[in-house]
Amino acid sequence: MAADSGTRTLISSAQMRRGRGRYIYWTLLTVVVVVFTLVFLGPLYWMVTGALKSGQEIAQTPPTLWPEDPRLTNYTDAWQQLDLAKLLFNTFYYAFGALVFQLVLDTAAAYALSKLRPAFGNVILGLMLATLMIPAMVLIIPQYVTVIDLPILHVNLLDSPLALWLPAVANAFNIFLLKRFFDSIPEEIMSAAVMDGATPLRTLWSIILPMSRPILGVVSIFAVTAVWKDFLWPKLVMPSPETRTVSVGIYAFSGGTPMNVVVAAAVIAAIPTIVFFLIFQRSIMSGLTAGSLKG
Amino acid sequence: MTQPEFPKGRTMSAPLFRKVVAVAAAAGVAGLSLAACSTKSDDDGSSSAGGKVTITVDCQPVAAQKELLANWNADVDAFQKENPNIEIKSVSVGTQCNNPPDFTARLQGGTTTDIFYGYMTDLQQVLDSGQVMDITEYVNSSTVPTWDSVDTGAKATFTEGGKVYGIPTKNYSMGLVYNKNLFQQAGLDVKNPPKTWAEVRDAAKKISALGNGIAGYSEYSAGNTGGWHFTAEIYSLGGQMVTEDGKKADFNNPMGKQVLQTLKDMRFTDNSVGEKQLLQWPDLLTNAGAGNVGMFIGAPDATTAIVTQFQGKYQDWAMGPMPGQDGPAKATLGGGEGYFFKKGLSKEQVEAGLKWIAYQKLTPGKGQFDYVRAKPQDNPVGLPQPQLFTVGSPAYAQELEQRKANANVTVDDFAAFENNPVPVKVEPPNAQAIYAVLDAAMSAVLTDSKANIDQLLKTAEEKVNQVLATGGTGS
Amino acid sequence: MATITAHGKPAEVSGSRPLPPARRQSRRRRQLRNNLTGYAFLVGAVVCFAVFSWYPMVRGIIMSFQRTRRGETTWVGWDNYERIVNDPSFWTAWKNTFYFTALALILGYAVPFFVAILLNEFRHAKGYLRILVYLPVMLPPASALFLFKYYAYDPSDAGLFNAILKFFHLPTSEWMQSTTMTMPAMVIASTWMNMGAAVLIYLAALQNIPGELYEAAEIDGAGIWRRIWNVTIPQTKLILSLMAMLQIVATMQLFIEPLILANGAGTQDSATSVAYLIYQHGFFQNDLNGAAALGVIMLGVLAGFSFVYVRLTARQD
Repeated sequence: MAADSGTRTLISSAQMRRGRGRYIYWTLLTVVVVVFTLVFLGPLYWMVTGALKSGQEIAQTPPTLWPEDPRLTNYTDAWQQLDLAKLLFNTFYYAFGALVFQLVLDTAAAYALSKLRPAFGNVILGLMLATLMIPAMVLIIPQYVTVIDLPILHVNLLDSPLALWLPAVANAFNIFLLKRFFDSIPEEIMSAAVMDGATPLRTLWSIILPMSRPILGVVSIFAVTAVWKDFLWPKLVMPSPETRTVSVGIYAFSGGTPMNVVVAAAVIAAIPTIVFFLIFQRSIMSGLTAGSLKG
Repeated sequence: MTQPEFPKGRTMSAPLFRKVVAVAAAAGVAGLSLAACSTKSDDDGSSSAGGKVTITVDCQPVAAQKELLANWNADVDAFQKENPNIEIKSVSVGTQCNNPPDFTARLQGGTTTDIFYGYMTDLQQVLDSGQVMDITEYVNSSTVPTWDSVDTGAKATFTEGGKVYGIPTKNYSMGLVYNKNLFQQAGLDVKNPPKTWAEVRDAAKKISALGNGIAGYSEYSAGNTGGWHFTAEIYSLGGQMVTEDGKKADFNNPMGKQVLQTLKDMRFTDNSVGEKQLLQWPDLLTNAGAGNVGMFIGAPDATTAIVTQFQGKYQDWAMGPMPGQDGPAKATLGGGEGYFFKKGLSKEQVEAGLKWIAYQKLTPGKGQFDYVRAKPQDNPVGLPQPQLFTVGSPAYAQELEQRKANANVTVDDFAAFENNPVPVKVEPPNAQAIYAVLDAAMSAVLTDSKANIDQLLKTAEEKVNQVLATGGTGS
Repeated sequence: MATITAHGKPAEVSGSRPLPPARRQSRRRRQLRNNLTGYAFLVGAVVCFAVFSWYPMVRGIIMSFQRTRRGETTWVGWDNYERIVNDPSFWTAWKNTFYFTALALILGYAVPFFVAILLNEFRHAKGYLRILVYLPVMLPPASALFLFKYYAYDPSDAGLFNAILKFFHLPTSEWMQSTTMTMPAMVIASTWMNMGAAVLIYLAALQNIPGELYEAAEIDGAGIWRRIWNVTIPQTKLILSLMAMLQIVATMQLFIEPLILANGAGTQDSATSVAYLIYQHGFFQNDLNGAAALGVIMLGVLAGFSFVYVRLTARQD
């Protein structure tokens, strides 16, 4: 990769290219690359090869670097017994749904708060932002009771994806990000659109949204990772084996399975997202670093 | 292609368009939520559509238990063929059908199946949840043919105030499960398992001397299972967890001390219980399945789990009675399982449910007692479990005869357990909360060579007294 | 805090059209229509907030003063609070949670910042290093934790960490079986699997620091550490303090780490967290009301904490 000389950082590029600086730079870079590879890839390697070992070999001291007698049985057992395909499908389905719900409802709300500014809009925004201070754990019990028996409707949402999607919409952070972005879109554009007779929906759709791609990307990443990383909530509201997410499924599986098979399941479960990440890493990375949160 | 042209006057005005969108969106959301609840409302509308009764039943074996699952499904098919007007919908809820947090969540969420699995100790919690039905009027020897043969004690655990809330389908008591192979290798008498804790300690020393990371004896200390085993062990010495009136802890005494001291000595003096501790159910059985555990305290069906889920071989396993202080144990922890009926079922559904349970769980030669089918499979036949029928009753005789005829495990291997019955004692009140407290003491003596047993017991006693005083809940 | 802004210049608005003289009535009507439109756009999100955030908030407080038994709910005053505070593990859980939060601040908060500074200096292998750091974030949390539980923290010498320590002739540890190592071990696992996100956020902030500031500092003779102290940290103060807040709120909710790594309570209750205690009450002991009361207590603690935080940051500015 070419050195981008454009930006000056802590240490000037010039200093790094000069004699001693250059020596230190390359040593440090090599050390960091090696250490990071060991720290972040090492455990993954250990996990993948560990699940290839037999129960006896895994308990051996000192451990073997490469399985003496690699066997795929742990992987095939995990795949067959856990129905990982179903779990992965569930997780992607929930993540996708949460994304759609958030993009539609949160974008609409942020747009209303930023551009349409109805009466008491600031009060509503304030109430939303107040929830930022309330961690999920505090609300988990009353939320659970609410999902079991929705007020007024008296519908039980357990095992329904809506129990994940609708609470996901109540995400003040994403609304805040979107609103801040919309705020920076000049007012003139709005009034010009209004002059042209465009309805608010039209303005949102054909003017605001196309300009908002970067922030929509960031919000999408947040929405998807939130579902991906969540554990206790899906564990509570998706109790049936057919509706579980990957993480919850593996945890439940660990309650009655030899440890190497559990690890094999953990490996298989990680593959699709790793592949997904490696394919889209450029856009994910630039989306996240392009400055969702500039200092 | 020509575009359809609307007459000018009838194009939608913008506000109207918005309204339509809003209504459509609202309808969409409503439709989604309706769809969402319709997936769950099977049990409401299914009672008797077209004369057909549908009931949902849980605790179907999971995919990992291949043969058990196949057996279950075959039972459902056979039963439905016999009873064309009944449809059984099976639900699998995991390997442990009653994993306490999941079970509680299902009860609270009202998402149990129509007929749901529970432990004998769950009655209070199930009653508390208001989810259970009084089935007294339906249960008799005409709905459940073997009802009069079913052990009275087992029946009593599902009864309160003369009202029947569930049907027992299995009961067990704990003993000493041991690995014959390792016994042999260590030069121990396979036919003559240790009968006292001192003998257990000796045997464990000899077995762990085999090396290779083999633990002579293995013990739980996490996920509430540590407290569970502490209870079993103090029972064996003649102790109890709480006083008779259920108000005070009753284990801070020489007996409680001895339980912990023995374990601590085995861990740190003898080094015969392995280095890896903080074990809970699957951890210990994984090690056992891999042939790394000489002995542990368990019920006969622990061997079933070792074989069907943890890659073990049942030829390796045998069982003796619970060890005691100087001779046989004074008592052993026992329990069992059964099925409850969800509140609000129709008469037809209850009857269908009873018929199913009678068929699959309580008929010698059928379902769980189909030894002819189980024999060639991986499932051990001949284990002294379930001890479900009263000794001497007709069903007992029938079951015993078939069990012996089809045994695929050496019945002798369990003779020591079966022929030396120990009085059975049930779990204490607030069992889960008390077990959680005792986990701390168990994990301490197994991981900390400096653990102070007197202090541990004193702290645990105070904590359990708090639990009892502030009135925990059922279970 | 500044967020992404629409890049590029505002599109030129062609000319400025004078607004027609507004008559009172039509303005009021327009205002009303504008409000209605605004609410139409808001309604979806507001309903979700109302049902899944605001209402549960109130409901939680109400529940904490009630008791439901056999389907009947009664008011019980402070009983639930009394039961919870007297729970054998109550104080241990708080102690553990604060300890984890503090350790995570040292390790999980400082490490990603310095990693970001380091990565920002490299002119090569940037993409590779970034991917590496972010990779664990993509693992399902249960996958990552089982890896640590079974392979890394194996208390015998067959475990990954112990094998490495032994190789370098360092003392080995029993990890989750040792009361003193339980928390550090959980922080290590948690940092490993979560730090990628923080590193990326810090990188973004670092890239925004104007290079002239470093230049000026260097001319003033400031060394590397001085430059970090005088330029980097002040320039990223806002994001640093925001991340500190977010991290504290997140670590206070510690749950999946003890659940998987320590089988819940850990050895001698050394892993029990407040969140785990909420779970234990709600779903092991069938005591949703007590669990709700503990939730309210946790809310109180966090509110107190936020208050202090706001006061501190306000004074600094």
